[in-house]
Amino acid sequence: MTESQPTVFVVDDDLSVRRGLERLLRLAGYRVETFTSAREFLARVAPDGPSCLVLDVRMPEQSGFDLHAALAARGRPLPVIFITGHGDIPMAVRAMKAGAVDFLTKPFDVEALFHAVRQALARAP
Amino acid sequence: MTREAAGFREFRTAAAALGVCVGYYVGAHFGFLLRFPPMTPSVMWPPNAILTTALLLAPPRHWWIYLFAALPAHLAAELGAGWPTSLVLILFVTNCSEALFAACGVRWLSDAPRRFDTLRRVVVFIIAAVIVAPFLSSFLDAAAVAAVQREPYWSVWQTRLFSNALTELTIVPALVIAATRGSAWPRPMSLARTVEAACLGALLLIAGIAVFTGSAESGTLSGPMGTPFAVVLPFMLWAAVRFGPGGASSALLTTALLSIWGATHGRGPLGTLPIAEGVLPLQIFLITIAIPLMCLAALIEERRRADDTLGERLRFKQILSNLSASFVNLPGHSMDGAFEIWLRRLGEFLRIDHVLLFEFDGEGKELVVASTWADPEVRHRFEDSGEAPTQGEPWHQLVLFSPPAEPPLEPVRDPGSRAGLDIRSSFTIPLEAGGEALGALWLGKLTAERTWSNELVQRLRLVAGIFASALARRKADNALRTSEGMKSAILASLPSRVAVLDREGRIIAVNESWIRRPSEEATWDARLGVGANYVATCRHLASAAVPLAQVALAGVERVLDGSRASFALEYACGDPVADRWFAMSVVPLNRHQGGAVISHTDVTERKRAEIDAERSRRDLAHFTRRTTIGELAASLAHELNQPLTGILTNAEAAERFLHVTRLDRDELHSIMGDVIQDAKRAGDVIKRLRDFLGKGEPEAMPLDLNALIQGVTKLVSSDAVIRNVTVTLDLDPNLPLVTGDSVQLQQVVLNLMLNAMEAIGEGECAAHRLVVRTDCPDTEKVRVAVEDSGPGLRDDSQEQIFEPFFTTKREGMGMGLSIARSIIEAHGGVIGATNNAGGGAIFHFILPLVGAPAA
Repeated sequence: MTESQPTVFVVDDDLSVRRGLERLLRLAGYRVETFTSAREFLARVAPDGPSCLVLDVRMPEQSGFDLHAALAARGRPLPVIFITGHGDIPMAVRAMKAGAVDFLTKPFDVEALFHAVRQALARAP
Repeated sequence: MTREAAGFREFRTAAAALGVCVGYYVGAHFGFLLRFPPMTPSVMWPPNAILTTALLLAPPRHWWIYLFAALPAHLAAELGAGWPTSLVLILFVTNCSEALFAACGVRWLSDAPRRFDTLRRVVVFIIAAVIVAPFLSSFLDAAAVAAVQREPYWSVWQTRLFSNALTELTIVPALVIAATRGSAWPRPMSLARTVEAACLGALLLIAGIAVFTGSAESGTLSGPMGTPFAVVLPFMLWAAVRFGPGGASSALLTTALLSIWGATHGRGPLGTLPIAEGVLPLQIFLITIAIPLMCLAALIEERRRADDTLGERLRFKQILSNLSASFVNLPGHSMDGAFEIWLRRLGEFLRIDHVLLFEFDGEGKELVVASTWADPEVRHRFEDSGEAPTQGEPWHQLVLFSPPAEPPLEPVRDPGSRAGLDIRSSFTIPLEAGGEALGALWLGKLTAERTWSNELVQRLRLVAGIFASALARRKADNALRTSEGMKSAILASLPSRVAVLDREGRIIAVNESWIRRPSEEATWDARLGVGANYVATCRHLASAAVPLAQVALAGVERVLDGSRASFALEYACGDPVADRWFAMSVVPLNRHQGGAVISHTDVTERKRAEIDAERSRRDLAHFTRRTTIGELAASLAHELNQPLTGILTNAEAAERFLHVTRLDRDELHSIMGDVIQDAKRAGDVIKRLRDFLGKGEPEAMPLDLNALIQGVTKLVSSDAVIRNVTVTLDLDPNLPLVTGDSVQLQQVVLNLMLNAMEAIGEGECAAHRLVVRTDCPDTEKVRVAVEDSGPGLRDDSQEQIFEPFFTTKREGMGMGLSIARSIIEAHGGVIGATNNAGGGAIFHFILPLVGAPAA
């Protein structure tokens, strides 16, 4: 792993989704770090270099929106791609308004994800 | 009858008085024949003895009649003798006084003045009538005769004393015994005894005539009268030993008459002596022989009577034990015959002529004749004269008590005569058992008097006790038959088929419905009738693997051996048109012989209603499940999307992986493993959904409630995530299995959990906590509780939340909890709701471990 490799953080409570995404993104050449919950992510991550966040909306305890809001509050905004198993238009609108790069409904098209990731990394500081 | 009886009694008294009159007159003339002028007293003087006899036989209040009756005879006889009237009158007074002394003395001293059958009675008679009465009366007699006839006082006194003593001694016992035995007629002596008596009489006469009326021979007087009496004495002893005091008395009389006749006619051993000198020793000799002879006879009689009494006592015991044995197990309806037999035996044993058994009628107000016996001879005699007691008689008078009688009543001696009826002797014993007056036993002797000794009364009480308990049992039997008749009428009217089994399982009775049962409703016992063995048939069918017969057999056997208080079974019968349902019930027969009552009742209507209700409930439950699933749609989509996403991303990764030049097989394996895992996960979601929605027949099976709750939790887990609710399971790891239908119980748990989550959403509490607990409140139950952190229940809604169409939700139908309740109740459980002390509500249900199968 080199410093130049952008990092994709994945936060999802579902193990198989995490593992699938990890494999897929790693094959695409990204550095991937996965977290099972918002809390774990907040505790461990201090993003360094280009990075983005693939974030599940519905999770026990803190939702994806909560995490997004918390990051914003810390003044370290990270480009975020929301993924959700049960999405509707109000939720998508809410995500976009909060500054999300994209809002993908599970199961999503892989190319759409890569596109969103590229977009996000482009936005990344 | 009373007036006629009184008339008859007066007639009898008058006849007796006339008899005394005639006897006195004849006796006086006979006495004159034995008189040796110039001596006024006779050698034997029967009139006094006749008068004494009359007074002994008659009650004292009638004595004056006999004394008056004797007066004309006395005057007629003695005035003819040419004596002065004054002497004749004084002699009447002395004769009467002698009879009165004798009768009074005997009556006063003797326990039975008319009997000579014990030593005591004979001794009393000898002292009072033979010694004292002549002794006293002779003073006056001798004084009168000495004054009027100028005869020597002591000579007269002595002649009269001995002659009267001899007469009393020889005549009175014979006459009294003849009179009292005569009234005991018509029971004659046995033929052998009659022959013996005739032989004895003839031999005594022959010997007496030969000895006392033969030609006088002076040489025979060695040892004055030894030889002739040595000839006669054996016969006298024979009479005394074999015929008692009566025989002795008669033999004495015969001997006395013959010897005196001989002596006064110059014949026999004393014929050579002057009359006045010869008679006196003869009298003394006769008296001295007579007294020991009479005593001997009395002793022998007493002994014989004691033996008789003993024998009689034994015979009575025999009778009593036979009587009691023959009644002890006799059914009520066979008692009439037994009563007749035993009244006859009792009558014959007691030598009475009538025995009547009275019983109070149904209302206990009237005495009615239950059974009667009369000596055939007496009955004929009375029937001929129209005097027989019949059932129309005033029996209440006869037994002297009438209901309502308060037992115990004392036996009554001779109630007939007290009631003014002409019954010579009778005896009444009340019959009572258990403090209830049941009737009376009446014993009567219409033809003669008899005594009722205390010993006899004691015995009769025993007899009465047996009759009373027999009557009581017959009464109880009748009551039982009446009530049994009523019961069988009730049984006959029942639509249920009823059969009664004995202890061995044989059918002893069936009702009409059992017999009329339509043949198409064939069950295992349909063709069994009375006499068939139900248990054996069941056993046979059970061995032929008829399932209902096996169950029924077990039940019937348990009830018959007392190990079960009752047994019930519902079963369906194949029918061409539709199933019919029956309820079989077996209850023990409440009697000491044991047994059971089996009934089959057609419960098809109820069963159909139940089945219809159950079907509606099931349909409704299914419908609400579909609604619930609709509510869960979003959550389910999430639940499915997770594995699908996993599959998709992994599959894409694999696809890309294949393009990489260096193939890492291990990684590929890992990817495929994840794909398979996710596909299974998705399949599980679909399967759970299908299971939950399934409309299959409910089936009861052992269920692990913990596993069931975990499954439902999975079903709602996405919903919980969406709603941001934390679900915690607090499950008792040792929870026993319950019996129930999995789909229905899942529905209940799901319903409670969804309700809880909805309530949490409405609540203000930040915790968003849902806890499902399981535990065992006791060894027979398990409890499932669903706690939420919602706003809790409104106090006024706790009662209603389980009612149909009650809802607090805006979009709810209000069916969920009502269905939940019907499911839990069908499982034999209860469901309830309370508020949690720490906030929120707790819904719980409790299921029994040995639960009824889900309907």
